[in-house]
Amino acid sequence: MAVLKFAEAIRAALDHEMAEDPSVVLMGEEVGALGGVFTVTKGLIDKYGPERVMDSPIAEGALAGFAAGAATEGMRPVVEIMFSDFVMLAMDQLINFAAKIHYMSNGQFSVPAVVRLPGGAGTNHGPQHSQALESWFAQTPGLVVAMPSTPSDAYWMMRESIRLDDPVMFFENKNLYFTAGEDVDFTEGPRGMRAAVRREGADLTVVSAGRMSGMCLEAAATLEESGYSCEVVDMRYLWPLDLETVAASVKKTSKLAVVYEAVQYGGWGSEIAAWAARELFTDLDGPVHRVGAHRVPIPVGVSLEEAVIPTPATIHASLLELAKF
Amino acid sequence: MPPTITPHQHLELYRSMVLTRAVETAIERSHRAGRISGSFHSSLGQESCAAGVCAALRSTDAVTSNHRGHGHALAKGVTADAVLAELYKKTHGTSGGRGASMHLHDRSVGFYGETAIVGGGIPWAAGVAWAKKRAGTDDIAVSFGGDGAFANGVFGESLRLAKFWEAPCLFVCENNGWAHSMPVEKMFGPPGSITAMVRAMGIQAEHVDGRDVRAVHECASELVQYIRREGRPAFLECVVYRVRAHSINDADYRYRPKDDGRQWLDANDPIEASRRELDRALPGRAAEVDREIDEIVRRAVERAEAGRTPTPADAFKTVYASEGLEWHGSVEVR
Ligand SMILES: Cc1ncc(C[n+]2csc(CCOP(=O)(O)OP(=O)(O)O)c2C)c(N)n1
Ligand SMILES: [Mg+2]
Repeated sequence: MAVLKFAEAIRAALDHEMAEDPSVVLMGEEVGALGGVFTVTKGLIDKYGPERVMDSPIAEGALAGFAAGAATEGMRPVVEIMFSDFVMLAMDQLINFAAKIHYMSNGQFSVPAVVRLPGGAGTNHGPQHSQALESWFAQTPGLVVAMPSTPSDAYWMMRESIRLDDPVMFFENKNLYFTAGEDVDFTEGPRGMRAAVRREGADLTVVSAGRMSGMCLEAAATLEESGYSCEVVDMRYLWPLDLETVAASVKKTSKLAVVYEAVQYGGWGSEIAAWAARELFTDLDGPVHRVGAHRVPIPVGVSLEEAVIPTPATIHASLLELAKF
Repeated sequence: MPPTITPHQHLELYRSMVLTRAVETAIERSHRAGRISGSFHSSLGQESCAAGVCAALRSTDAVTSNHRGHGHALAKGVTADAVLAELYKKTHGTSGGRGASMHLHDRSVGFYGETAIVGGGIPWAAGVAWAKKRAGTDDIAVSFGGDGAFANGVFGESLRLAKFWEAPCLFVCENNGWAHSMPVEKMFGPPGSITAMVRAMGIQAEHVDGRDVRAVHECASELVQYIRREGRPAFLECVVYRVRAHSINDADYRYRPKDDGRQWLDANDPIEASRRELDRALPGRAAEVDREIDEIVRRAVERAEAGRTPTPADAFKTVYASEGLEWHGSVEVR
């Protein structure tokens, strides 16, 4: 047990897995000597050496293929893509190889690798350093997509991801890295890749993940002032998608909103909305709301950025409208 | 340097080349007869590269390959049965009949597999090689790619990583004169140009005339020994020629003379060259090998024809490897 911030919790998870399993190695630009641009791997090179904490040349495409290739040979690489936007250079290897080689080879090869993807807006890094790309990967068969929202989840989901025998796209929202720490229990944590109910409520359900989860909690707290009680479900994984937890919540509240930082159009939240519209049709007492990013590049500066991505205020407005329906 | 391998070794190289020629000829026949469909890229005329290189490897060495990979698979020890069954999309194929020509995989003999993405298999081999070294063996990995793949970014990156992290990997470039309709000379220059590029990166690199399987084998063996000994990557450019059209459905007469490939083959066929040599050194043996292989391939075609087609339920298997994730499809949870 320790009080850890999000970045520290991921570091602890990497540390603990590396201590237990010599096949776990870290690869990426600046992960060694510098300790990662967001400090996530800080100090690990001192403990495990450059053989296991490997500073990579700037070659994301081959790096993804190299790591996935090493994974087919029994290694468990954790690759850091400095900003998730740079994953574009690795897409062929991730989508055409890592995600599919188990299937293509009829089960002869598997890729137990984790790709760490610091993403999301809110840090003034501009259109090529701020995207929320998780929907792309949730679409791809063969991949697992993880998106933790709390230090404790970051810790346990990282450990769970490293132990999976499939490639995991692990989305870390940059804004979460250094927000308030929380107690992380190293001995026991959630398992089984289920969604989590972060706040119980009776009048409506809001589903989200990652940084948006915290914003939904804020919005739900504000909504309480208007007399509506909102249940907040944190999906944690975008694949596998724990729709049972969503269904159970909606059966109780009869109303559903989905909030996600990715572009709203065609995003993973749209999938949940479309699914609910059919599968939960008789349970729903209102339209399913979606709050996602506009289909606009992410600009810098609070005024522009907040116009584009969901904020506690826009989430609250949508929830209030739904609650009143 | 005159070849130093024995006639018996030469006969084994010949056997390997003839097996690929016979399997690919059978595939052409089945295609024309409408028995199979889909992509097919023939390596007819360039069998010496796969045969010469793979004969320098152990079964525990790994090979990754490209879209023109039947020869790499067969030379690495995948059976004609498994290759032909996969081409016929039958369950006893190398990939359960779900991948066909560009998706042969057989881990049991170290044939990690083909990929249909040009250049895609190159970093795979580098990563496998590195992991093998880390596991404390002196096994290596080999990637086969076409000349076209060596224009690809991931090739340069893979060499960089393999050199930087000292991966014992042999990168083989099969320079067959063409990347689909693009002449290699126009893209890179004369044979050896790609080798010069790689050498400039500080990586051991050689090029060899692929018309002589013995020369290919000797050159590959030296590089393989170097890689095992030094634990570093190396590169081999094997100069061959693409005799057939790019793929079975390719209109190659639009970009080269109609009988270009045939003419090259008549003058340069590496199999014919070996046969002439073997008929002198070991009279009758080459013909014996031809007959044996004909029989093996004939039976493999019969078994492929008679094999079982996968059921629709097979399409949903092995999407995920982890326990509990092996479920599929759209989200139908109630
Ligand atoms: C990334 C990618 N780009 C394009 C193609 C289409 N394509 C398949 S093979 C080929 C030519 C490849 O030439 P080369 O690497 O020299 O191999 P060869 O066919 O000559 O054996 C092309 C363009 C592809 N499969 N993958
Ligand atoms: Mg070519």
